[in-house]
Amino acid sequence: MSDHQAPFFTQLGILTKRLLLRVVRRPLSELPNLIISAFFLFIYDGALGRVFGASAVGTSLDFAQGNFVNFILPVSIVSASLSGSASGFYIIEDIESGVFKRYQGMPISKWSIILAPMVIGAIRVLIQASLILLIGSFIGADPATGFSGYLAVLGFGFLWGLGFAGYSVAASVKSGSSQGAQAASFFFFPALFIAPTFVPREALKGWLSTAAAFNPTTYVIEAIRGILIEGWVFNVILPGLIVGGIFALITLAYAVSSAKKVNEKG
Amino acid sequence: MKAVEANDLHKTFTSKKESVEAVKGVSFSVEQGEVFSILGPNGAGKSTTILMLTTLLGISKGTASIMGLDVEKQDKEVRTKIGVALQDTGIDLLLTARELLYTTGRLWGLNKKESNLRTEELLQLVGLTESADRRVKTYSGGMKRRLDLGLSLVNEPEVLFLDEPTTGLDPASRRVIWDEIKRLNNNGVTVILTTQYLEEADELSDRLLIIDKGVVATEGTSDELKASVGGDVVTFDFEKEENVEVAKRLIDNAKVNQKQLRITVENGAEHIPIFMKTFTENKLNVKSVSANKPTLDDVFLKVTGFSMENDNQSEKKQSKKSNYEKRGRRIRR
Repeated sequence: MSDHQAPFFTQLGILTKRLLLRVVRRPLSELPNLIISAFFLFIYDGALGRVFGASAVGTSLDFAQGNFVNFILPVSIVSASLSGSASGFYIIEDIESGVFKRYQGMPISKWSIILAPMVIGAIRVLIQASLILLIGSFIGADPATGFSGYLAVLGFGFLWGLGFAGYSVAASVKSGSSQGAQAASFFFFPALFIAPTFVPREALKGWLSTAAAFNPTTYVIEAIRGILIEGWVFNVILPGLIVGGIFALITLAYAVSSAKKVNEKG
Repeated sequence: MKAVEANDLHKTFTSKKESVEAVKGVSFSVEQGEVFSILGPNGAGKSTTILMLTTLLGISKGTASIMGLDVEKQDKEVRTKIGVALQDTGIDLLLTARELLYTTGRLWGLNKKESNLRTEELLQLVGLTESADRRVKTYSGGMKRRLDLGLSLVNEPEVLFLDEPTTGLDPASRRVIWDEIKRLNNNGVTVILTTQYLEEADELSDRLLIIDKGVVATEGTSDELKASVGGDVVTFDFEKEENVEVAKRLIDNAKVNQKQLRITVENGAEHIPIFMKTFTENKLNVKSVSANKPTLDDVFLKVTGFSMENDNQSEKKQSKKSNYEKRGRRIRR
């Protein structure tokens, strides 16, 4: 018989593979999430591209520097990152079905139980973000940093997706119900829109500009915009990286601490 | 070394509004190789006791050990010694039995080859080889329970905890699970099970424990417990059901159960004419009468004041949703 404990990364790999099988075996429930951000990219570009695109060059509205797709693409990437929140629903399914309890009775690290749905959430984000970048490049995206800029943007999407997945997992474990997880997802709207979503921070009204400064999404959007529009501007990219990393770490720690208490609810 | 020792176990659930003491000082021990059943009405504390023993719930007060290992201080080691199939432990319905057993084997630290071998062994053991590659959502209730049992055996446990392993199953499926439990026990596995079915406890258990309101009501072998009721149980049915309450007032120590009058006395057959005379004098027409040795239900009635059979009957009237449940004798309060 074995020593009764798989190494951590084996545990994580097995649990992630199991969730991946679940995702693959019900494709219809995943498809809408996959295309929704790409759909909004078309809408944003169609509705605002004429006003803030090439025709704005030389005017005070030229914050996209002539390419509105470059400007709006980060919003779609961040919006896609919110789909990391599906991770919470994976874990709710496991709690409600009793699978979570089965794992708790086995010598498995709580971190791997919590990380597996987060990894799946982040993989979803990567796939969505790749699709968005592909569409973006077809409709006119032209990163100042070239192809490596695309990879950096994907990295940001993954990091931010991981953070939101952690938040979603923590909220789900804390509430222990799909209703609770659904209610917690309301947070995503202010996170996305109390930010320089459609115009730069300087162009926002006073109260919104102040609120946006406290929203971590702001720094991630600005970092991705920096990569696409200006190049490797590290004074913009670094704050985004730090904020995204801290957010992911905090939400992961919160999710694990919530998981430790889940059974005490009886 | 005892397989299980529970000493003065307490569990209190505390919320902002209230504090509920679900288990209030439960003590018992189980020898290695025994099948030990824990009986009790819903809410008696039997599942909570199992959760504490299996490390899935913290112990508020008291101590417990499994194969000499402290449940609280050596929880990781305890988990390697036990197999657990709980009432509310789930199975991933989107995966196949083979995938689930293999995955569980890998999580228990088996390498790929070992896990494949163990999967085949367990599929054969629980009779799921032919349906191993079907998704679990297509399985019947009995097949799911057999798979659940298989999953709890992946780590070759020395002590197996089964929380209501046959609840909701039809008699044939229940019999299959019983055979599996007996086979495992014959191979040296200690089994601790909770059940709502008296015949299950009677059929499988070496010893029984009845818990009521979070405390131990009684403990012993099935025969010891039945003998503790004493004598015979004389049961009367009356032509008018409402007369049963009048009759109860006429006989000392009589109890009403399922609209029947039950009287426990030595030499029941000898007492029947005396009781009949009393009822006839009071114009209570008897429809039928019988004298039997006490059953576990009589034990249950004596120590808890509630009848499993009686409760099952009321449940039958209330709900027709499950044919399985109608066939079993369930405990509810």
